[in-house]
Amino acid sequence: MNNKTIEHYMSKLEHLEFKFKSHVQNNNEIHIELEDSSKLIEFCNILKLEINLRLLTMIYCDERKTNHAFSLRYLLGSDTDDVFFFVVIFIDKKHAYFPSLSDVFPYSIKYEREINDMFGIQTQGDTTLKPLLLHDFQKNIFPLRKDFHANTELNYTPRKFEFTPITGDGICEIPVGPIHAGIIEPGHFRFSVLGENIVNMETRLGYAHKGIEKIAENMSINNVVLLSERISGDESIANSMAFCQAIEKIAQLEIPEKSKQIRLLFAELERIYNHFGTLSGILNDVGFSYGASRLEILKEYMMQLNEKLSGSRLLFGVNQIGGVKVDISNTSLADIHSMLNDIFQNFEKILEHIQSNSSVIDRLRNTGIIEKQTVNDLGIVGLSSICAGIDTDTRKNHPYGYYSSINFEQTPRADMEQQVKLQKRIGDVLSRFMSRVDELRYSKKLIESISNLETGEIHIPLESELIPFSSGLGYAESHRGETLHWVMMGEDNSIFRYKIRTASFANWSVIEHAVLNNIVADFPVINKSFDFSYSGNDL
Amino acid sequence: MTEDNQKIKKSDILSWDKVTLDKILQSNDMIPGNFRGKISLDPDKDFVLNSHIGQNLENICPTNAISYKNPPESISLDVGKCIFCGNCQQEAPQLIKISNNFDVAKKRKNHLLEVFSESVPFGKTYEEIGNELKNKINKTFGRSLAIREIDAGSCNGCEIEISALTNPIYDIERFGMHFVASPRHADLLLVTGPASKNMEKALKIAYESTPEPKLVIAVGACACSGGIFGKNYATTGGIDSIVPVDVFIPGCPPRPQALIYGIMLALDKI
Ligand code: SF4
Ligand code: SF4
Repeated sequence: MNNKTIEHYMSKLEHLEFKFKSHVQNNNEIHIELEDSSKLIEFCNILKLEINLRLLTMIYCDERKTNHAFSLRYLLGSDTDDVFFFVVIFIDKKHAYFPSLSDVFPYSIKYEREINDMFGIQTQGDTTLKPLLLHDFQKNIFPLRKDFHANTELNYTPRKFEFTPITGDGICEIPVGPIHAGIIEPGHFRFSVLGENIVNMETRLGYAHKGIEKIAENMSINNVVLLSERISGDESIANSMAFCQAIEKIAQLEIPEKSKQIRLLFAELERIYNHFGTLSGILNDVGFSYGASRLEILKEYMMQLNEKLSGSRLLFGVNQIGGVKVDISNTSLADIHSMLNDIFQNFEKILEHIQSNSSVIDRLRNTGIIEKQTVNDLGIVGLSSICAGIDTDTRKNHPYGYYSSINFEQTPRADMEQQVKLQKRIGDVLSRFMSRVDELRYSKKLIESISNLETGEIHIPLESELIPFSSGLGYAESHRGETLHWVMMGEDNSIFRYKIRTASFANWSVIEHAVLNNIVADFPVINKSFDFSYSGNDL
Repeated sequence: MTEDNQKIKKSDILSWDKVTLDKILQSNDMIPGNFRGKISLDPDKDFVLNSHIGQNLENICPTNAISYKNPPESISLDVGKCIFCGNCQQEAPQLIKISNNFDVAKKRKNHLLEVFSESVPFGKTYEEIGNELKNKINKTFGRSLAIREIDAGSCNGCEIEISALTNPIYDIERFGMHFVASPRHADLLLVTGPASKNMEKALKIAYESTPEPKLVIAVGACACSGGIFGKNYATTGGIDSIVPVDVFIPGCPPRPQALIYGIMLALDKI
């Protein structure tokens, strides 16, 4: 099915004047190894301009034992076709640095900082990268290198983090965090304000860093499923699904149709309860507690439904490699449908009330605007990108599981794109609010499109041992956006490298731009409208 | 949406049923039977432990909550480490029982180990327990218990349940408890997460800034023991290595009822 697209892209590649080796893997992954790695930046630039690709993540891997070098994979993807490009270079002892891609994709800097922290390898010429994830760790500790053991006892010495100084007449600094006023996750924000206006903000994250990628290397793959659910508690289905799919790809395991349907159901249920939560949070942050409470109730109902179906309010323990653990009968499916009907009737009522309330809408409109250019330059994904007119829906662009059987002609995201074009929507909090509303209705539609569950198994076991050093990319669209999990197997079914790129990691940098020229009091609502996960960023 | 719904009438909104739960702590009927709530070693009559079962259980548990020893043949279960994945019940239903009860909080970490055989006062209504709590709060803290939540690197699952406490369904404010914005205003700290190294300092400072008398509750498997993350280069393996803890609430995450039960245990301490 996908062969034509791949051939098309391969022939495009051949027309470029570069020498490289390439091979296709797992249906939609084109792996490219350049003969002359110094041409990398040029090559990526051409991929960006001529083939219209976007940098998705950078995967660093310690292959010194097997390949005598570190490897670095630049993962690029298309937003129109189901194809991924892995541009691979090897970094050996002779040049312990790698070229920075920031001229082509400005946001590559965040990945470069991550690599610098976790592997101790820097970009060429740049020695001023700020640390990202490791705060007071002793110097020369590089957790993701293979010769570092996850349980090593370390010494910690306070290290000063240099915030970019913003000076000038009347400019004050406001430090906030890592412990915030509300019940939210830890992170530090440094505001520079002139009067009430924010002229600069710098975020410092990493407080929730738990070494997830590292400890996965010492766990059995079945336990890593449980770990992946806990990357970010509210994204448990999306993350575990992406991980399971990566393994299923490596094993070339076709899971039963029914389990695909169940995965879709749970993925959409997860989206629904989280969007209710976020909408409620937005209303709360503008002081409209009536609406906030009403939506909280709907969220709670959804969580109770989750629990009735799966035994866990946060849908932990649903996915497993080769299918799902939780079966759904056709009667429960009918219950889900009728419950959703009730809930959405309430929802529409509340929504009407909100939309007719000018004191709410006025706070949302024109607040926290992001431009299309910013979204492009920062590689933003998910709802945060569609509110500026860029659609990056993994479900549609890279259909996985049961989503490939769904017709995506009329998506709410396409509508939003249209509205942005007509300048009815301008990438403000209100557009993000409305995208969430559209998305909610759409999730309901998706669930309703499954009127009958297939019969048969919900799980097939993984029998053979996976080939060492084979790799696969799993992906899913969480309620935050594109979620990518790349796995390279090691010996004896262990994991050699587990690279997680959540939507939060891709999106966090946008907040520093969205708050500019807004007042400090609007920061909470702007932040909430993006709905970042701190844990999903810090891993 | 039907025609009638299109125009919003005030009476529609006001006429919605009351949603706040009255009997949270009693009503196990509200909690689905398949909720993984309380785990215990509860062998069937004809159950004989052998090394095969023991080893399997030990291997299958992702967080090493179960350990098997021989000789003498014994199995221990550390509920503080359990993430309630249900693997062990699937493996040995004759020995391990997971029920939908939620009264799992304990005041000492070692009480989390092994079996919960002593039964806790159970079956009171949410109102009754809530009012009991209210009385205690009245006595000790002058009508209001101020709670500060601190996330020491959780996965945000526990936060979701803690914020659910304030939704109209659980609504703990009616019992005189409320969440405050700073540890300086707090009587009680609810701490989640395996205490990441990066949060260690902040947690210490927050604890020190909390005025006496202060209580600390470790919420969730992570805060009790490190949970699935355990103790590694980036985590400390449980918040009790950083601050003194009064009550441990296991669960991954503990549900709102389990949280309020834990808060009640903590108040007993004062
Ligand atoms: S339910 Fe708890 S004790 Fe049982 S295997 Fe899972 S983590 Fe271990
Ligand atoms: S106990 Fe479970 S839900 Fe709570 S923070 Fe830890 S992993 Fe997340």
